[in-house]
Amino acid sequence: MNLPFYLQSVVVKAQLSIQLKPDSFEPLQALAEWHQILAANLGSRPAAESNFIGRVRPSGLNDAPLEALELEHYPGMCEAKLHQLAATAAASNNAIAVLVWHRVGKVLASDVIVLVAVVANHRRQAQRCCQELLEALKHEAPFWKKEWLADGSNSWVQGNTPF
Amino acid sequence: MATSKKQALCLRVLLFASLRETMGWSEKLIELPANCPPSSPMQLWQHLGIQPFIPPSNIRVAINQQFANWDAALQAGDELAFLPPISGG
Repeated sequence: MNLPFYLQSVVVKAQLSIQLKPDSFEPLQALAEWHQILAANLGSRPAAESNFIGRVRPSGLNDAPLEALELEHYPGMCEAKLHQLAATAAASNNAIAVLVWHRVGKVLASDVIVLVAVVANHRRQAQRCCQELLEALKHEAPFWKKEWLADGSNSWVQGNTPF
Repeated sequence: MATSKKQALCLRVLLFASLRETMGWSEKLIELPANCPPSSPMQLWQHLGIQPFIPPSNIRVAINQQFANWDAALQAGDELAFLPPISGG
C-alpha cells in the first residue's frame, strides 16, 4: 500500500473488512456479524457508526427500465485499491474499523451493490470517513458497470452518477 | 540470438470492459524487439492499434496494478492495463 510513512502506523490500528461478493448478500446480517467480530476484538462497541447501503437503481440511461447491472473488476488491483482507500480514509479520520463489501457479477435492480460501514469514537469521524471512502471507491477502484435494460439491450456506464 | 532474446521486452497487456469489447481481446502477452521497443503506455497503445489512435482523456493506465502516467517507462515483465472510465459503488 502506497501510504506516506506518517500514516502507516495509524493505519495498522484500523480494522479493515474488505470483500468482493460474487453473490447477493443481506446488508443488515453482514453488519450484525461484523458487530460481533468488533465486539470480540475491541471489547466494546465504539460510540459512533456510519453505514451506507447502495442499491442498483431500477432505471438506466434515459430512465429506461433496468433489469440488472453487470459489475466487472480488475482482479488483484481492485482488492488492493479498496484496502488502500479504506486504510487512507480510516487514518485521516481516526476511524477504528471499516467494512467495504462490494458486489461483482450480475446484480439485479434494487439489490445491494455496496455496503460501507465505519465505526469511530465520534459521529463526525464516522460520517466523514464513510462519505470520503464511498466517493473514493467510486472514482479510484477499478470497477465497471454494464447496464442491462429490460428490452435486452446493454451498454457500459461511462463514469459515475452525480453525488 | 540468445542475447537478443534476453533483451526483448516482454509485457502482459490487459483490456477491460468497453475497451475489451471494442478490441475483441482481453489479454495479450507480447514480446517486443529489443532494438526499438515501445517504451511507454502511449507508445504501446498505438503499437497495438488500439482505437482511437490518440486515447481519450478518460482512459487510465495501470502498470503492475498501480495507476500510472501515459509516459511512464515500461520494464520487461510489467503488467500493463488500459482502464476505461471507472464506475463503482
